[in-house]
Amino acid sequence: MAETCFRCHGPDKSSRLANMRLDLREEATKPLGNGKTPIVPGAPEQSEILARIFATDARKMPPDYSRKSLTDAQKQTIRRWVEEGAKYEGHWAYQPIRKPALPAGAPGSESPVDAFLEARLAREGLHLSGEADRRTLLRRASFDLTGLPPAPEEVAAFQNDRSPEAWSKVVDRLLASPHYAEKQAMHWLDAVRYADSSGFHGDNLWPAWPYRDYVLRAFRDNKPFDVFTREQLAGDLLPNAGVEQKIASAYNRMNRYSAEGGLQPKEYLAKYGADRVRTLSAAWLGSTMGCAECHDHKFDPFTSKDFYSMKAFFADIKETGLMPDRGESAWGAKLLLATPEQQAKLDALTAAAAEAKRELDDAAKQLLLKIPVEANDRPWRWQVPVSAKAAKGSVLTIYDQQEIDSAFYAAGSLKFEHKRGDGLVVASGPIPDSDTYTVQIRPGAGTWTALGVDVHQDESLPGARLARGADRFVLSEVEAEMNGARLPLVLATANKAGEQVDGPAMAAIDGDARTGWAGGIAEARNYMIALRFGGKVTTQADSVITIRLRQEASLRRAVIGRFRVALSEAEYSWPELEDGKKQLDSRKDDGPQATLNVDVDHGVPADVRDALKAEPEKRDEKQQKALLEFYEFSRPELQAALIRSAQAEMARTLFFWSIPRVVTTEATEPSVTHILPRADWMNDTTEIVQPAIPAFLGKLDTGERRATRLDLANWLVSKENPLTARAYVNRVWREFFGTGISKALDDLGSQGEAPVHPELLDWLAAEFQEHWDIKQLVRTIVMSRAYRQSSVVTPELEEKDPDNRLIARQSRFRVEAETVHDTALSLAGLLVDQFGGPPVRPVTPPGYLLAMNFPKRDYSESRGEDLYRRAVYTQWQRTFLHPELLNFDAPTREECTVNRVNSNTPLQALDLLNDPIFVEAARVFAQRAMAAGGKNPIGWAFTQAEDRAPSAAERRVLDGLYRESLRQFRADPKSAAALVATGEAPRPEKAVETAAMTVVTRAILNLHETITRN
Amino acid sequence: MTTTDTCRRSFLRHGFGGLGMIALNSLLSPKAFAQSIASKGVVNPLHHAAKAKRVIFLYQAGGPSHLETFDYKPELAKLDGKPMPESLTKGQQIAQLQGKELLCFGPRHPFKRFGKNGELLCELFPHIGGIVDDLCIVRSMTTEQINHDPAHTVMNTGSIIPGRPSMGSWLLYGLGADAENLPGFVVLVSSGKGGQMQPIAARQWSAGILPSKFQGVKFNSIGDPVLYINNPAGVNRKLQQQSIDAVNALNRIEYGTLKDPEILTRVAQYELAFKMQASVPDLVDVSKEPKSVLEMYGANPGDGSYASNCLLARKLAERGVRFIQLYHRDWDHHNDVKNNMEFKAQETDRATAALIKDLKQRGMLEDTLVIWGGEFGRTPMSQGGNGRDHHIKGFTYLMAGGGIKPGISYGATDDLGYAAAENVVTVHDFHATMLHVLGIDHKRLAVKYQGLDARLTGISGDVVKDILI
Repeated sequence: MAETCFRCHGPDKSSRLANMRLDLREEATKPLGNGKTPIVPGAPEQSEILARIFATDARKMPPDYSRKSLTDAQKQTIRRWVEEGAKYEGHWAYQPIRKPALPAGAPGSESPVDAFLEARLAREGLHLSGEADRRTLLRRASFDLTGLPPAPEEVAAFQNDRSPEAWSKVVDRLLASPHYAEKQAMHWLDAVRYADSSGFHGDNLWPAWPYRDYVLRAFRDNKPFDVFTREQLAGDLLPNAGVEQKIASAYNRMNRYSAEGGLQPKEYLAKYGADRVRTLSAAWLGSTMGCAECHDHKFDPFTSKDFYSMKAFFADIKETGLMPDRGESAWGAKLLLATPEQQAKLDALTAAAAEAKRELDDAAKQLLLKIPVEANDRPWRWQVPVSAKAAKGSVLTIYDQQEIDSAFYAAGSLKFEHKRGDGLVVASGPIPDSDTYTVQIRPGAGTWTALGVDVHQDESLPGARLARGADRFVLSEVEAEMNGARLPLVLATANKAGEQVDGPAMAAIDGDARTGWAGGIAEARNYMIALRFGGKVTTQADSVITIRLRQEASLRRAVIGRFRVALSEAEYSWPELEDGKKQLDSRKDDGPQATLNVDVDHGVPADVRDALKAEPEKRDEKQQKALLEFYEFSRPELQAALIRSAQAEMARTLFFWSIPRVVTTEATEPSVTHILPRADWMNDTTEIVQPAIPAFLGKLDTGERRATRLDLANWLVSKENPLTARAYVNRVWREFFGTGISKALDDLGSQGEAPVHPELLDWLAAEFQEHWDIKQLVRTIVMSRAYRQSSVVTPELEEKDPDNRLIARQSRFRVEAETVHDTALSLAGLLVDQFGGPPVRPVTPPGYLLAMNFPKRDYSESRGEDLYRRAVYTQWQRTFLHPELLNFDAPTREECTVNRVNSNTPLQALDLLNDPIFVEAARVFAQRAMAAGGKNPIGWAFTQAEDRAPSAAERRVLDGLYRESLRQFRADPKSAAALVATGEAPRPEKAVETAAMTVVTRAILNLHETITRN
Repeated sequence: MTTTDTCRRSFLRHGFGGLGMIALNSLLSPKAFAQSIASKGVVNPLHHAAKAKRVIFLYQAGGPSHLETFDYKPELAKLDGKPMPESLTKGQQIAQLQGKELLCFGPRHPFKRFGKNGELLCELFPHIGGIVDDLCIVRSMTTEQINHDPAHTVMNTGSIIPGRPSMGSWLLYGLGADAENLPGFVVLVSSGKGGQMQPIAARQWSAGILPSKFQGVKFNSIGDPVLYINNPAGVNRKLQQQSIDAVNALNRIEYGTLKDPEILTRVAQYELAFKMQASVPDLVDVSKEPKSVLEMYGANPGDGSYASNCLLARKLAERGVRFIQLYHRDWDHHNDVKNNMEFKAQETDRATAALIKDLKQRGMLEDTLVIWGGEFGRTPMSQGGNGRDHHIKGFTYLMAGGGIKPGISYGATDDLGYAAAENVVTVHDFHATMLHVLGIDHKRLAVKYQGLDARLTGISGDVVKDILI
């Protein structure tokens, strides 16, 4: 009736017809306005609904326009039900969980799981299948529990262990492995939509990974699910909340956030709140409360008021509709995860920086009494390099009189120019991961105080239009030299655009190539750095200054695309080069030195000029600050104090940004929550609601006190709430059998599916509610005979239970996306065993992020070991998830997902065949086979992947492929060299043989058996 | 897994007839369809006779101004610089102009009469003007989301909640694919000059709650045209074939033991993948097209431009791709709408018209629905004195071919181009109409999701009958 009748005669009052509802007995047995009674218990003849469902004329129900119909059998069932008294039992999922008694006659030694299943199967004349062979069993359990295939040695050990506890030992070993957590966390992360980016619009990266690690630790340490629930929903509200609890509370911040300019904050706050209700509802309640955002639920007893009352629990979360996505204020509330030692060091560095700054300020204020601020021009002089060379592959071209196209953003629009280069250096050609640009200038006779490097933005460059192959550039170190002697650089200052919060200018002269000046936040045209010489540098007419721009950051390809260099002879020029009038004038003379030593700008920041124009008494605080800072920057007397202050500030900044942080939940005064009819966020005249659980499930007893997220969490894991345990147990079951006991994991409501084994589900749920012990739940399932049975389908089973819902056999299905990845890397021996840590970036096809913007994006894959981590650590970019994950059905986590689909597509074939990640894995797997496989590398490799030796027929196929590949590569060794050059793992010596073996191992990685859990 | 079981059952029941048989079964369980590579969809037979077989959606991302393209507003010009009547704007949503003074901003370019009916179009679009008699101009589109990301999501999926299938996925699911060795839903992205290049999330062509085989496949202008379509370095086509043959031979051996039809599906997918490896690079190479055709579109092979993509769209349509969606970006003219519109016209006018002419001369226009439009329009009020802000109350779409009446216009905005005032067309109406010409009743194309019938048109949407042939 839910399917056919409730749409018009159910819980939703807005779509209810004839003012009649059939979902409540009390209502359905009341006489209607026309005198008729829908249901008269025990009297089918007097019951209007039966007259209507058996009608064949226009009175027929359900009507044709509803496109619903009842079968004759269904009609008879309804008649019989009315006859027998129209008993309403209430929907199964909402009934209290009572631990069912074990079926009569079940042997005491039997696992309850098996007892319930056998009892049900017996009614069909079926029974559980026999146990699968030990190889299959261990592969199944290893994939299910750790997401990795077992080594052949592990299979052999299990096969040889004839003790009765052999299986139990295996299960305990796997449950104790940290890999168990890496596998289990994956499902929870889908549900809570954990990702490393914000999801809307610019989809920028945010610090969320410590929360992911919290989830990993929770599964590893078997944190009880009730504690796990409380910490995530309300960790910040727990008495004596520690760091762990505050990290956990990041759960509340995992919704998508937008930083799109022009968004209407109220609208987005409404979106964030609704997202939280949907997620909580699916992840904990297995319910579809999202339906009640616009109207009362059509089929389940959730009202619109329930939806907004649930949303009201989260009204205390401190956030803004427009969530900043850059700079120090990005993502709102964050928690710095400093160890006590780190915190002490940070405090000391902060104090030292403040002290140095105070000394500088004091000195400056003293000096100001004697010497006023001056705004006389302090021009930069552009230099046309006499040579520019790159060490590692970039091609540097100096554009002087030649014209060059440029495209850049100014005032919000893309502008185009085609004009002389005037000394612009442009990098082209191959894009190395790191490079050093060496530029020589011949400035003529003069005395110089500072060197300027002006990095130019151009639309032709990816990312933030600055670096050649990364989101931003990183200038690790700048070095200058003349006549073979180093010219020390003592102070580095960046202009406004160039102030990257975590890459301060001073890092470009700190002697540490791991740190550097980074740029890439602002949509500004020029990022300039001024580098002050240790003393004045005097040049002769033919002196040459050599400048080295070292770019060796760990971020790959963060190498500069376009830049100019300049010198200053003033004390001291602010790093700002604008395309000013003087430069234009200089073009009138087209001689070779036309732009050399032309002063191109006044070298004074615009805000300082403005501030100086204002009357001293009328200068506001901002203007006074600008003046003081420029004074400190430009007065030679203050130089020593300035350098000390800049160094102290750099030390603090670098250390501060080296400490992990996480977005977190901070509670604030709760905002008002209205019921929004049709989810219309502009309507705030409607009823105001207080936090409450869905009314039909009960009421929180908080007296006068406003209920909190902690109250909600406590209720979720209380015995009063039957949904959490049922929903969670059902989901866990699916991981081990492929289908839930109720198939609709996200909907235990009336439109879902009644559980096939209700007593089993309730028994497991009741057990789970006792201690909320996830490992115990998993162990109970995995120890059962049901889990261990064979997946082979007999004709009888195929006939009686084609969908395997009765579970008289095990299931076969492809492993998840992450496991596809991890399996290949593990067979190659490349997988790096490291638990937790910041997200990693495996290789991605070039240009994959081209459709992103704000900022434009490029992708720099990780270096070294981080290329070979488990996929649970892959950077989860919501709008462009790594294609390898996406192709194998991993969700984008823009929205809560509790039911991954499992598809089989040609794109998966292309990915496994041609993705460099898998090709490299095959190549290294081949090298491993050749090293370890003795005279039988093919057999060895096959055995590693499948935990069995190949059959004679299989062997023939593989041998044939090897022979043919070897023949071809011998004739074409260049192709062999190209194939084995895939990836960064150490290259083999024997390219031809390795290439041929790579073709074989690649075929093995592509086998259905390799990626199927059986 | 549930997704495979029904399929498995069907396989064992029929045991023949190839994978196409599964499609029949999929009427009972949409998920089962995931495993088939059937050419038929779940709408089989069609709900009614179809006029169109395929769709080319020329998606102008960023929100093109209707006021500098196809919706002429002389009254707005008269009020240029004057305050916008508050009666229109009060209580309405607004984006970047929140809290700003709202001043009328007349059209920045002159309009001209084109075609038999003397339709007034902006003179920046003479080529489109030249084919206006083939177009149906809908001047009364509306949407509900005023920021790019959610507005794209609504236009593509009919919902603001991520995870719903995009319209191309719905079509593929409903109608299946005609293309043998190509994906049935292809996405192309280009960008040009002027305006802000708004990001486009992969969500816009996601299959969402439908199995991922229905997702749009993005063709790329740099790197592999389809991700991983090219062999690894050092592996030639022959060796690739031998490798795939070996994989399939081994998989068939496994099938011999287990009789799991899922294995045969995988074999078929590897065969299809191999065929795609040959067909896709050949397809995307437009350099072999006659020079006259390249000139008609204004396409330079390999440039990844809108023009090249229009030409590629025609080739994809010829080969039976069901839904082809071109995104052209940079229509977000908060600044300098006058000059930026000139860039956009240069990039799109000729190629858009060429595509329609080309389809027509090949006899394909009658069963190809071509759509031109973006996620919203732009305000008749100025932003910063020279641009226009996002606008959802009224904007323009162009449609051609595929059962849509040519040479008409439908609906209108008010005198100032603010709100659709006549024959309002919502996004769901638009979707319903699109599905209708393809032979689908939008109310009946549904999958069960979270207990509800999820549809492209949600719970609303009416076919715009007046524009149907």
